[in-house]
Amino acid sequence: MVMSLALERQLVLVSVAMLLAATLVQFAGLVSGRAAYRPTAVIYAGVVILLGAAITGRWIREHQGPFLTLYEILLSGVFSLALMFLLISVLVPAVRGGWLVTSPLLLILGVWLTGVSELAVPLPGAFKTPWLWAHVLSGKLFLGFCLAAMATASVMLISGAGSGERTAKLTPFPEQSEKMIWVLFFAAFICHSFMLVAGAVWAHSAWGHYWSWDPLETWTLVTWLILGGTLHARATFRNMPQGMGHVLVLVAFVVAFLTFFGVPFFSIAPHKGLM
Amino acid sequence: MRVVKLLASLRLTLVGMLALAVLAVVGTRNPAIGTGITIWPIALLTLNLLAALLTNKVFRTQTGLLVFHVGLLLVFACIGLTLLLRYDGHVEIVQGGAFDAGLVETVEQGRWHDNRLGDIELYQGEVRVNYLPGLNRQDTRSSIEYRAASGELRHIMVGDTRTVNIDGYRFAASFNKGFALLLHWKGADGREALGAVHMPSFPSFDWKQVTTWTTPEGQEIELELDFDQRVSDDRADWSFGRTDMPFSVRFTPAGEAQRSLRSGASVELAGGLVQVVDLRVWMAYQIEYLPLLPWMFVAAMLAIVGLTLHFASRVLPASAPAGSRAEEDDYGHVARA
Repeated sequence: MVMSLALERQLVLVSVAMLLAATLVQFAGLVSGRAAYRPTAVIYAGVVILLGAAITGRWIREHQGPFLTLYEILLSGVFSLALMFLLISVLVPAVRGGWLVTSPLLLILGVWLTGVSELAVPLPGAFKTPWLWAHVLSGKLFLGFCLAAMATASVMLISGAGSGERTAKLTPFPEQSEKMIWVLFFAAFICHSFMLVAGAVWAHSAWGHYWSWDPLETWTLVTWLILGGTLHARATFRNMPQGMGHVLVLVAFVVAFLTFFGVPFFSIAPHKGLM
Repeated sequence: MRVVKLLASLRLTLVGMLALAVLAVVGTRNPAIGTGITIWPIALLTLNLLAALLTNKVFRTQTGLLVFHVGLLLVFACIGLTLLLRYDGHVEIVQGGAFDAGLVETVEQGRWHDNRLGDIELYQGEVRVNYLPGLNRQDTRSSIEYRAASGELRHIMVGDTRTVNIDGYRFAASFNKGFALLLHWKGADGREALGAVHMPSFPSFDWKQVTTWTTPEGQEIELELDFDQRVSDDRADWSFGRTDMPFSVRFTPAGEAQRSLRSGASVELAGGLVQVVDLRVWMAYQIEYLPLLPWMFVAAMLAIVGLTLHFASRVLPASAPAGSRAEEDDYGHVARA
């Protein structure tokens, strides 16, 4: 049995409603001073299951993965980011405060997802290579790690800026959170490096050029330089204020996020290829 | 030694990275500046990296970091040599015709590149490009024959992710292809010539199959290819590559009346007679020569392995807290509060 587009749309809508619920739960927790880890984790698990079902159904129906259109990039993006943050926060309690930042961000992506065309476009022949998989998977891992690092850095900035007990509860173990920010950021850097290499191999096989300085490639390089520069700056200026490091992590994520999801402003399908 | 230490500065690395990021964006947004400007920060970073590898003691104790930076240096070296050795160009070859190095349009050629395109022997066979409804391009199959280094004439099907390497030059079928008119010219002076006129790319310009051809006598003629029925179909599966459809060619010499010809028919022009012989297809190829590309890949992968080693040996252990179990329990208490 093949999942219909209408059912897929309903799954997406329910997921977006759940992301709204996660955001409200997080803000309610912040205001009331009560931790909201468990209900948020349950909601995220639901989002992952529903979006996973939507992607699987679409994959079976269209006979191709969600690699091409803006809708597919957003759909797989929200799914992979929710899944990665859920897994990381289950394994690493020190990043759990980050739900406060990830929930509204995923909600925005989800709302955007509901506003774009769901119609599938067939993959060109040049896309049928394992390097596309390597490129996409490493890209998802990169953004997931970067999101977790950024969310933790952001709640540390918030808790550092606020003086109340409520904000302090966001990061009950600041030392452990601080260490995890850099572990996750470093993991993101490795994944991003591999994504660049895999993307170059794929582009060479698909378009004949391993590097063409198109907007996506240029901004991916800029992101890599910001990631590497941030790690280098931390090693160079050992007395750099903690908050400055967090701001750099935030900047790196913003540039990465705009590179991933902002390029559609230049081209409605970044990897569509030419007729 | 003082200069080397200055060059090895970690602060200089940050300046180089910032300059590379800014110039990459500026160079791509301003064609007048171009991306070639990025070579300066790359050169600076290469010198900085080389000096750091020679003087920075951290590389003696942190193997992963050393491997990453050596890999990065090798990538830079490959980029530099590639700029000097590379060749990038494109050519259109008509079905049944031979590759002509004189028709190759060079995009970029490195200073040290020894152009050997003239030695290449390649013949174009049939072409098939399949489309799904909505003119969504699927697989491309272009049949070619080429003379291998052994002297043997080999047949191969290229397209999409399959390319052919001839004497170090990589021929990749591009998305660009179209129809070609095979014309026979018989001059009043008895000279004869057979040649192909390439029409605009198809189906991108299926609405405007018009081009200008200059006869051997120098007369400019506007040629228009007109099919009796629509060739491309955006509502069903369709294949590009057939040439057996009925067609006519409209000849419009400058300032003269238009004449329409079927396949096999002739028309008198200034200084000679031209005959429409046949309809063919042409296929465009991207030609590149990047001898160090496999080594660049190896160097990049070496850098990633180094990063991963450093992560596993230094970053990950440094993050593990002493008595993490107790801390987690404490956290659980806070989370439940």
